[in-house]
Amino acid sequence: MTNGAHIQTIGVSHTYKGGGTRALGQIDLEICPGEALALIGRSGCGKSTLLHILSGLSLPTEGKVLVDGTRITEPSPSRIMMFQAPSLYPWMSVEQNVGLGLRFNGKMNEAGRRIPEVLELVELGDYAKRNVQDLSGGQQQRVALARSLALKPEVLLLDEPLSALDAFTRHALQRDIRRICKDLGITLVLVTHDINEAVMMADRALVMKADPGDIEAEIRIPISGDRLPSMAAFGDARRELVAAYEAAAGMAMAEAQSFIPQDSLNTPTPIDRLAAN
Amino acid sequence: MSQASPITTREAGFAPAYSPGSSKAFLSENMKSRIGGGLESLGYTLAGMVLLLAVWWLGGRMVAASDDLYAFADFAPVPTLIRLTDMIRTGEAFQITVPSLFRIASGLFWAIAIGVPVGILVGAIAGFRKLTNVPFQFLRMISPLSWMPIAVMAFATWEGAIVFLISVAAIWPVLFSTASGLRRIEPSWFKVARNLGARPWHMLFVIILPAISQDILSGIRLALGVAWIILVPAEYLGVTSGLGYAINDARDTLEYDRLAATVVIIGVIGFSLDSLLQLAIAKLSWLRSS
Repeated sequence: MTNGAHIQTIGVSHTYKGGGTRALGQIDLEICPGEALALIGRSGCGKSTLLHILSGLSLPTEGKVLVDGTRITEPSPSRIMMFQAPSLYPWMSVEQNVGLGLRFNGKMNEAGRRIPEVLELVELGDYAKRNVQDLSGGQQQRVALARSLALKPEVLLLDEPLSALDAFTRHALQRDIRRICKDLGITLVLVTHDINEAVMMADRALVMKADPGDIEAEIRIPISGDRLPSMAAFGDARRELVAAYEAAAGMAMAEAQSFIPQDSLNTPTPIDRLAAN
Repeated sequence: MSQASPITTREAGFAPAYSPGSSKAFLSENMKSRIGGGLESLGYTLAGMVLLLAVWWLGGRMVAASDDLYAFADFAPVPTLIRLTDMIRTGEAFQITVPSLFRIASGLFWAIAIGVPVGILVGAIAGFRKLTNVPFQFLRMISPLSWMPIAVMAFATWEGAIVFLISVAAIWPVLFSTASGLRRIEPSWFKVARNLGARPWHMLFVIILPAISQDILSGIRLALGVAWIILVPAEYLGVTSGLGYAINDARDTLEYDRLAATVVIIGVIGFSLDSLLQLAIAKLSWLRSS
């Protein structure tokens, strides 16, 4: 059992180099050990930037991030990030990919026990010797998850790693990642566009707005155990989150239609055209 | 783990069930198609060789029939192949080949030893790439043989001068292939490695070199082709061994069958080395074809 880390950001803001856009305003937030937090918002609201800063892969222009009271200045194997693409190394087998962190940190003596353990955890125990190119997208993300867990991280940071997967695979992984993090006590921070995903995985969601990126609302999602979209509590949390999302975006979901040219809405579909003839 | 949910485990992304019969039929079809393709390819190869021999034989007949050229009739296939058999039997073919192979190996060694690290720097550091772009492109366009007088003056031995000329010819394909391979590496591979705690030497030996191994090998294959072309004229320099020297010597002694047999040896070895490298590239390739 790992003990998840406590994360605190104090006045974190970020401006891209060369006098570019101010991606983050001034973020003050606190994440409890073992909590699952979702950062949700429209593209460009700075949620990925904030996640990179929490991982140590980027440094804030101003402010600081404290993990268990210590200021972070660089990435650490105790805070592992998963990206949209699994980013596996195609010349390596599943077990070599999973053991990479152990190899980098001089812990190969643990590999014999740890690799099968985490592969079982992500239900890929029989795939250790396979080349990662032979796996499906969902299986590759499971390998990336196993690679992240092999180092017993205190924090798992997810940068939309499930967005390219089909609905079934995504649902299964959302549930499994939440379960694993809860079982192991890992602090989970995920970035997503998907409101359902936030409700499926998080204990709390922070809705962000853009220009500059800032936290607009905080929604608690107190559903115990596995979550299903058919649950009443799921629906309630989803509605609350949609309302906050729409308020942050300054428009209703239905208004998204205004991005579609009216002409294209009025164009008859091929079936309509056939029927007309 | 928590309680079960309606979505069963392992449901995501696993291979669909298949019937063994249909799989066997597919394999058999696949094998037939591969064997058919292989036979077709072999047929074309043999036809090409026969065509080459026919052109050579025809040329030999024309030379033999010409009043001006009949002295060169030994270039024809029959005298050449008789002399080649003789050179193989007596060990002469081996004797003239070994020094050339040694020079090629030495030249390629230096081209790789310098080309790969410099290529990595060019690919990795934008400032270094901008700094070296024009000088490297300028140097690359200079014919390696034009360095010959400088090489002769700069090196104490003929051997050193030849290896230098081969290296100068071979370095550019290795360097540019390495640099272009590095620039095509998936940026997230570095990010993930950094996050997992990779040190600089891990980045180099565990991520960069395996990732660009295909590009390096392709560069070496191109370099070998160039080096093999440069070898013969380079061996016209002072040395008294090697394939280039053997050609020069055969011309001076008017042994045209020996000259033609040496040309055949050069072609066969060059082709074999290229095929070996092609095999190595295929063997070491981590990229799935489909």
